[in-house]
Order: sequence, then structure tokens, then C-alpha cells
Amino acid sequence: MRADASITELAARFRMTLTGMKKHVGVLVEAGLVTTEKIGRVRTCRLAARGLEQEAAWIEDYRRRWEARFDALDEIVAELKARETENGRRKRT
Amino acid sequence: MDEGKGHEPMKNPTTAERRSERELVVTRRFHAPARLVFEAWTTPALLMRWWVPKSIDMSFVSCDADVRTGGGYRFVFRHASLEEPMAFFGRYIDVVPNARLVWTNEESGEGGAVTTVTFEEHGAETLVTMCDLYPTKEALDEAIASGSTGAFGETFEQLDALLDTLGAETRGT
Repeated sequence: MRADASITELAARFRMTLTGMKKHVGVLVEAGLVTTEKIGRVRTCRLAARGLEQEAAWIEDYRRRWEARFDALDEIVAELKARETENGRRKRT
Repeated sequence: MDEGKGHEPMKNPTTAERRSERELVVTRRFHAPARLVFEAWTTPALLMRWWVPKSIDMSFVSCDADVRTGGGYRFVFRHASLEEPMAFFGRYIDVVPNARLVWTNEESGEGGAVTTVTFEEHGAETLVTMCDLYPTKEALDEAIASGSTGAFGETFEQLDALLDTLGAETRGT
């Protein structure tokens, strides 16, 4: 269901009790996937625009993991470079 | 020992982006020739020193890598939150010394990405580009949705706990 809907409409659409649907929507709200707004006596539910935010956060986590690895790799590479320079000097002298 | 601190050279930035529906790309420049970066990447004794830096909270149990086209690799790690060590494994499907590495990621079955790393020398620097190509858009979406560590068990436990809480609230009213 793409459009906004009330808990009553959703319960009817999915053939569930109101209490059951409230519980389901509660889980989706906690997970940040749905937002609700109470207008008068009707609580309207809509899909939250969280997909892209979640993806951006995941990519940032992923980037940090590789940043930590690459910073450590940088140190190893610097060691290899120093060793090579050292060996080069020894050969020349 | 500490005399170098305070005026350490700036670290090169690491970038990451989703380049397409199926691709994730990470880049980083190193101030060294490509052959040295390649050596540090393909020598298990050296790879073990950087693949799991302290901030990642994992340690190697073993690291086997037969780095040649058709060769296999198997990295086994221990993690504080896991009872059993976990293994990451696959095959090298293309190896061009000092220039390119392509391997499969087979630990999670068919949705695994194929990783291509290129080492490009630009003057005194080497640009490393790592691309994870997933078989489908859905496979990458799923990897993202499952969280950065792929710890499905933990995620479901959290959801269970949440459902219990909500259930208790419903019963209470």
C-alpha cells in the first residue's frame, strides 16, 4: 500500500484486528520505516523516507572500516619503502 | 619514540560510494610504488597486520592466500561477540602482479560480490580502487539492509526484544 492510510483502513486491508495492526505499526515506527500523525481522532500512517539515509549511514560505516584498514596498510607500505631505500643504499656503498 | 607525533604527515582520504545499483567503490592513494602496495596486499604475513586494525575488534585465526589466477583464499577471524570463528573465502579469478586483483566472496552463498582491486601508479603515488560488484541490485540492497557486519543473528535478537516489549505493552493496556 503506497498511499497514506489510517490504522482502521490498514487493519481492514490486511484483515487484522485493530490491536494487531497497532502492534505492527508500532514496530515499523520503532524501526523508523513508518511515521504516524494524529489528525482529530484518526491516526494516519505513512512510509518514512529513511531508505536513503540508512544507505548513506551504511556506506559511511563501510568507508570508515576501509579507512582504518588503509591507514594501517599505509604504515606497512612505508616500512617496505624504508626497507627498500635501506637496501638500495647498502648496494650502492 | 614519540618524537614523530604532532607533525605526522596528513593521511590520505578514503572515499566510498555506491557507483551504481550493483557496485560499491572505495578509493585511497598511497605514497609508494604500486609493487609495494601490491606486496603488502598479497603477502599473508603482511596482510594480517593491516586487514584487521584494532578499531575493527576482530583477530586473525589464520590467513591463507594462494594469490594467482585460480588460487583460493581463506581468512578465519575471531570476534568477541561470536562463539565460533568465522571464515571468509573465495577464489582469485584474475591476478596481474602489481596492477590488479579480482576475487570472489563465497562465504555468504550466491549473493556474494566479486571484488576487483586495481593499483594505478601516478608519479610517486599509487591509486588503489576497490570495487565490489554484486550479482543483482537486490543483493547489494540486502547487504546494506543487513548492517555493516552482516550480523543477522544480532539484528533478529533486537527485533525479538522489541516485539516482546510491544507485546507486553499491548497486554498491559
